[in-house]
Amino acid sequence: MNSSFSVGPFAFARRMALAFALFSPGVFMPNGALALAQHAHAAITTVADFDAATWTQLLRNGPRPAAYVFTNSFCATCPETFDVLSKAVMASGKPVPLAAILMDVQGERALAHAHHYAGVTKIYAFDGFEPAIRQVVDPKWHNITPYVVLVARSGKLQRVTGQPTASQLKAWLG
Amino acid sequence: MLAVLSAVLRNALRGVMLTLCAASAIAQAVAPVPAASVGGHTNARHAPRAQLASGVAFAADGSLWMAGLNAQGDLFVQNAPAKNLSAWSAPRIVVSQGEAISADGENRPKLAFGPNGWVVITYTQPLAKPYTGAIRMLRSSDGGQTFSPPFTVHSDRQEITHRFESVAFDAQGVLHTLWVDKRDMELAPKQGKKSSYRGAAIYRNASRDGGASFGPDIKLTDHSCECCRIALANGPDGNLRAMWRHVFEPNVRDHGFAVVGGASPAEVVRASFDDWHIDACPHHGPGLAPAPDGGYHAVWFGIRKKGNEDIAAVRYARLQTDGSPLPESVRALPDERAEHADVLASGNQVAVVWRSVNSLESTLFAWLSKDGGRNFQLRPLSKVHGDNDHPRLAQSGERMVVVWRNAKEVQVHELKF
Repeated sequence: MNSSFSVGPFAFARRMALAFALFSPGVFMPNGALALAQHAHAAITTVADFDAATWTQLLRNGPRPAAYVFTNSFCATCPETFDVLSKAVMASGKPVPLAAILMDVQGERALAHAHHYAGVTKIYAFDGFEPAIRQVVDPKWHNITPYVVLVARSGKLQRVTGQPTASQLKAWLG
Repeated sequence: MLAVLSAVLRNALRGVMLTLCAASAIAQAVAPVPAASVGGHTNARHAPRAQLASGVAFAADGSLWMAGLNAQGDLFVQNAPAKNLSAWSAPRIVVSQGEAISADGENRPKLAFGPNGWVVITYTQPLAKPYTGAIRMLRSSDGGQTFSPPFTVHSDRQEITHRFESVAFDAQGVLHTLWVDKRDMELAPKQGKKSSYRGAAIYRNASRDGGASFGPDIKLTDHSCECCRIALANGPDGNLRAMWRHVFEPNVRDHGFAVVGGASPAEVVRASFDDWHIDACPHHGPGLAPAPDGGYHAVWFGIRKKGNEDIAAVRYARLQTDGSPLPESVRALPDERAEHADVLASGNQVAVVWRSVNSLESTLFAWLSKDGGRNFQLRPLSKVHGDNDHPRLAQSGERMVVVWRNAKEVQVHELKF
């Protein structure tokens, strides 16, 4: 099995990172482990700031594979996308971070949505002028949500408005 | 070299902008207290995000009114006299006591003036459960000198979606409130975790006494989009018309149009044909204004397929009296970054305004027509740095203004054709 946690020269370091993440609610909590316990989101008690610099940092230094779902507090079509992504992650058997990024609310109002987002491992909230942050993520994105960025293990990005298709999920997680 | 060129271009553009701004007769208003969000936030290092989304309207005496949130999350109103739209009164708090009020993007406080000194302010109150809300209203019967405490407009009191309200008086002075409502979706059978009901519904009610009492909740239509504003305009028969983002089968998020006050559910006329198939929330509702021939001017956002390419645009069209578009009139606004456009009209004068954001810089554009929407001229009106609201249009007879609030001030631009 071509698991990202079983091959490569940094396997030990990654395992240690996973162990650290499992006990650090402020960082990614790979849901392959936690979702198996069916309570991945229950441990989320904090919301991280997402400003104009965050996206670049995540793409450069963030986990791979990973999924980022940009959403709004009133986006009723967004939870279904988390369902789709969560199922794909569970089916893959890999611990893949799945982040929700709330664009319109912060703090407790952002956290209130955690239990609607299946398999979510981390919650961010926009901190700054929403269109400016959105344009850093994708200059052509018109605030339609869910807006999903699937980051493959190779670092290849797939940008999806709405729910990813089966072929996109396959390309993401192999 | 690039930096020098960039600076030269920037200065040149600024010169053009200032000239055009002067030509458009800007009245820059005294700012109310900068607004900020209510509720908790996780990181004390940062100020809470501003909640700048506001409502504006002219009173019968020509004064301009505004309703919005202040830094404490309290709802305030202020007004400026017809002779000097830059002379805002001091903000007056009308709702405090910590009531949650949506004031972000298309979900914002609104004002409407009717006969007999009636004034109403509406907003969506987000409830504790996600995706739920109540439509709240304050009413005045003395021209806005005093307002009632807020009350819930709809008779349905379930903790479900009642959001994205719109409010207007029709030609007979009847107050109409419309909102996005999920009572039918809640009752529909589920397919797995997903409801079998497509989208949400639009419900409405009417008040013949300026909001003192209301008729029953009435369904306008099934299958609206869940999170876009509803546009209202007066029709030639004195009845209101509504335009909203609809979810046509199976998942086409184009626009519907209907008479407000007729049959329930109303006969829905399709008003746009982008054929945008998507299971997502655009958060981008339409704008609607009456034309003198009995038709309408409309603006909306949508994505059209051209081969394998997605063409996203805010588009303008003339609608016929029944709400169907005149195909030859459909055109994209001349700005790929246009967001949340709105439209007003008086005779053959048509104004389309929108915000165009490029990183932290936002430009307010007006697209003005003197021939009923056949030809338009593009005018940049202003530019601001940082957080700002969508531009809000208001009309008093032939007088049209666009109000643009940012974290430091409220700008009022009188539109000259």
